[in-house]
Amino acid sequence: MAETVEKTEETGIIAKAKEFVVTIPYNKIGMKELLDFEKTPRNKLVAVITLALLALFVVGLALFFMHGHHAYNVTKEHPWGLLLAVYIFFVVSSTGLCIIGSLGDVFGFKDYMLISKRAIFGSIVTILAGFAVIAVEIGHPITMLIYNVLTPGLTSAIWWMGTLYGIYLTFMIIEFVFLLKGDMRKAKIFGLTGLLVGLAAHSNLGSVFGFLNARPIANGVFYPTYFILTAFITGIFIAYIIMGFRYNLDFPEKVKTMLTGLAKIQALLLSILIFFIIWKMFTDIYGGMPNRSEVAIHILGSWTFWAEVILAMLIPLYLILKDMGKSPVVLFWASLSGMVGIFFMRYNLVHDSQLKPLQMMKTTEYQLTPEWVHYFPSGTEMMISLGGLGLCIAMYYAGTKFFNLDEDEHH
Amino acid sequence: MARYGMALDYKNCINCKACEVACKEENGVEMGAEKHRIWVGANDVKGEWPLLDIASAAFLPSQCQHCEEAPCQEVCPTNATYYDENGVVRVNTDQCILCSYCMVACPYDARFVDDRTMTVDKCNFCSDTRLARGETTTACQNTCPTKVRTFGDLDDPESEISELLRTREHFSLKAHLGTKPKLYYLT
Repeated sequence: MAETVEKTEETGIIAKAKEFVVTIPYNKIGMKELLDFEKTPRNKLVAVITLALLALFVVGLALFFMHGHHAYNVTKEHPWGLLLAVYIFFVVSSTGLCIIGSLGDVFGFKDYMLISKRAIFGSIVTILAGFAVIAVEIGHPITMLIYNVLTPGLTSAIWWMGTLYGIYLTFMIIEFVFLLKGDMRKAKIFGLTGLLVGLAAHSNLGSVFGFLNARPIANGVFYPTYFILTAFITGIFIAYIIMGFRYNLDFPEKVKTMLTGLAKIQALLLSILIFFIIWKMFTDIYGGMPNRSEVAIHILGSWTFWAEVILAMLIPLYLILKDMGKSPVVLFWASLSGMVGIFFMRYNLVHDSQLKPLQMMKTTEYQLTPEWVHYFPSGTEMMISLGGLGLCIAMYYAGTKFFNLDEDEHH
Repeated sequence: MARYGMALDYKNCINCKACEVACKEENGVEMGAEKHRIWVGANDVKGEWPLLDIASAAFLPSQCQHCEEAPCQEVCPTNATYYDENGVVRVNTDQCILCSYCMVACPYDARFVDDRTMTVDKCNFCSDTRLARGETTTACQNTCPTKVRTFGDLDDPESEISELLRTREHFSLKAHLGTKPKLYYLT
């Protein structure tokens, strides 16, 4: 008898779960509708670029499967390369979009409600693209899934970062489902939890570098906090880009109000970032601390650092301050510049942390005394990285077809 | 149960690299200059003829420092890097995911990727080979013509290494990082 009751209860739960899943609103479209889009020159260009990026991803993967890690230009002295930088680029984007999405549905800022669903969906696709890239960067991803659980390294920032990002992704998906269903109360609960877990994961990602006692240029509290700041900045850049594509740069008044608000926040965040960077450089250089000051001076002489500063900080900040963020079209382009700068920011973070050789003596005859560690990404690394971007755009495009990412009328 | 360490009378090193060869041979380390568990660091002679700074041309044999507070172990997400019962820092290749965090975190650049297993490799004081066979010396120590290296149990007051550390001044590399290395350079 008891068994029958238990079975009925179990069937009840399964039936409820089934009902929950089948009632998720989505557009029932076929392949034809999925591939159908307005044939404007801009859309065609984006489609061609996306296909090209996906093709590069396939070629990059093929090269990786043929040659393994030998297809990458990473070395003993520079074990982290472009793929790690691109992974960081995507997960920072995800956290940023999560923050933007939370402004409306978690914190209740009405003006930002209209981007919530789109931003949360964006946070899901960006982190999935990040996971796709890191899966071929890590030597044994399946082993990672097994031993992350069986023998967790609780003192490892990578363990915390990876585990928390896994939980974060789950919460983001649940939040998105509730947003689709219009259940704002539950969306808020899962959104807030997801945001907190995401922020924890993201600052842990910063601590992956911050905990490196052996590398004074990265060691310290700077990166764990700076990662949150730059995530917010990245989120606003992407918000401009996705809204720009959504409205073909012809923004309705409501969207303009939201974007102007975001621009003002962005001006403040960029100013804080510039302030942070200036003081980091001063403190790195001041006093000539070995392994730190000379690295900082070396960074100041690299073009990638200035690409980061000019594209991600100075250009967007100047264009926002020109009319206090009232020109969303201009800021759409500034945001594209910003995202290129953000890419350099991630690349610099990874590369600069490994610039200084740890072994300063010659270990091989006829070798020059080590000075700086050199690295330039291989073709395969570039193809997989660009492919990650292609994946991200393709998944986002599919999302716009399958789901209604605009704000529901009744809110 | 021991607490293994090594003392290096590094000023005796003549950079013959017999230790590097013996290590590769004994432990089956992959061929190639980048693939080494141990190495001898060399500095070029500084100054100009005839005022050459002969003291600058020092050789510094090195390897994993088998730190008591090993950064590589702390950062490992799957505990693939572990301390064995003798305090030797080792890698379980079954658990290594090749995230390379240990390579970035090790202050001594003592780790490399073994391309055959695609996992991280490093010195383990010949634990899988000579010590497993019951021998009491490492390959690098055994082959050294100038007796640079002395390997032994730091907890045994009667051991040669304990005697050396009691009677000779010594230093550790990058000791300020708090890693508590178990490689001691005799001065």
